[in-house]
Amino acid sequence: MKLAVWGALARGVVLESIRRKDLWVVAILGFVIMLSAGALGFFGAQGLQVFVKDLAVTVLGLFSTIVAILTTCRLMPEEVKNRTLYPLLSRPIDRFDLLFGKLIGAVLVSWIAFLALAALTSIALLNFGVRFDLLMAQYVLGKMMGLVVVCAVSFTLSLFMTPSAAATLSVILAFGSTMIVRGLVMGYEQASPAIQPLFKFLNAILPQYGLFDLGGRTANIDWGPVPAWVLGALLAYMVTYSGAMLAIGWAKFRKQAI
Amino acid sequence: MKQVGLIVSGTCGLAIATGWTATGWQTTLATTGQPAGLDAHESHASASLLGQFRTTFSGWLWLRTDLYLHNGVEMRRLTEQEVAGDHRGSSSIDNHDHALHDDSLITTVIPSAEQDFRGIFGDIERATSAYKDMTQHTHNDPVSALPLFRLMTWVDPSFLPGWTTGAAIIARDRSDRSLEKALGLLREGLAKNPRSIALDGEIGYLLAARRRDFRQAVHHLDRARIQSLERAALSDDEFEALPQIYRWLSLSYRERGMLAEMYAVLREGVERFPEDAVLQRLLESPPTPLLDSAGVDPPARR
Repeated sequence: MKLAVWGALARGVVLESIRRKDLWVVAILGFVIMLSAGALGFFGAQGLQVFVKDLAVTVLGLFSTIVAILTTCRLMPEEVKNRTLYPLLSRPIDRFDLLFGKLIGAVLVSWIAFLALAALTSIALLNFGVRFDLLMAQYVLGKMMGLVVVCAVSFTLSLFMTPSAAATLSVILAFGSTMIVRGLVMGYEQASPAIQPLFKFLNAILPQYGLFDLGGRTANIDWGPVPAWVLGALLAYMVTYSGAMLAIGWAKFRKQAI
Repeated sequence: MKQVGLIVSGTCGLAIATGWTATGWQTTLATTGQPAGLDAHESHASASLLGQFRTTFSGWLWLRTDLYLHNGVEMRRLTEQEVAGDHRGSSSIDNHDHALHDDSLITTVIPSAEQDFRGIFGDIERATSAYKDMTQHTHNDPVSALPLFRLMTWVDPSFLPGWTTGAAIIARDRSDRSLEKALGLLREGLAKNPRSIALDGEIGYLLAARRRDFRQAVHHLDRARIQSLERAALSDDEFEALPQIYRWLSLSYRERGMLAEMYAVLREGVERFPEDAVLQRLLESPPTPLLDSAGVDPPARR
């Protein structure tokens, strides 16, 4: 029963995204990728395979994250603004189902966008003679799990603030959290023992997007596939962190006067 | 209401007074010459948006080249505290990329398990990222990075390290063909940067040390020396290259039997770089069999 509700809500998000021509953005970005690849081809890609792969994973990560954030941040605020939330809540679904169904929809849109971009990038890479291996499949899997966390964080933030503010904060977290974590790691040894627990706390609450990015291994040569336990740990982290985000969002939304 | 009017007029008055006297602050705020940390390449590009893009792109490619030589393992410089705390850098056993950095002063961005407080998060990051223990590490063959140097110089012809490091990598292969290729690349760079001390110096070095064409070497090295004297300010890279230029210029003069010129160049070099032990040694006891036959007095007796 619940599955049918979540499925219907998620389907609505995907259809709405298609109706709003959001995925056209993906098509345009894909066109940019192909154009850039063509330009590199013009200069001659002999010996540039590592660079081309590095560029591809960087662009993929950048574009798919932006699409995920922009799609997710406006979902709930628009439902409220357009007053379409009332007919939804008048049906026999509770508020948690609504949030969960919408989040699944946002994740699906992000995955569709990412996979479409990945397919276009693969064509460009094939053109440069890049060979595909198991590590690349793991990269795609890791990125898809990372996008779930990006969507969960953006979705929760959008329940607490305006869509613009949520999008801005999400972008800062998405592209800055790795840098902040590295700063914490570097500064930990030099920090006084009294401050060190704060470092650990900040590290624990920050979304660890960097863990899901296998781009560095994928782009360079002779790196083997990641062990299965690592993918399992990433899956567990994705479920835990996204669940926590959803719980925080639900705690806010369930008592929110509409 | 009257107070508000007073505040508004006071603020406006202060703003006008500030603007009126602004020209007097120019010498304090806008220092003359090139700001520290910016080299000619950056100031070149600041003229246009395209130039800025080119500079940023070539700088980014430069950093990526370093990354690819370490096969994707991200490295960083040791902090001052780490150096003071006897932290050892990830020294390498080949240091192919000495032009890019000093291996004894760098370490991995992702720390080893012993130095990482993050527990399983750290373990996962070490497994998913391009990470390995880089103590006594090796590098990928720099030849694999050559297309990137080519790309750098295509995108931004004023990016001098692209020309010089690219040529140095080509010249590592001791064949004549590689030497000609390296010289060709440097000459192409010189055509696009005719006032470059680094490019003239590098061409002179290859001609003297590898081709033993001392006449042509003197032409390039002396031009680099004269340019360095004429310039009001030199970039750090150019300044660091100068002692080498003086050494090779003096040796080229020696090989051509022009000992008076050799001593003149060495004296000038020692005057400009008094800390340089090699120049000092060359001046005090020039290792040359030509000394006696040329009949030129050594400097100590002059």
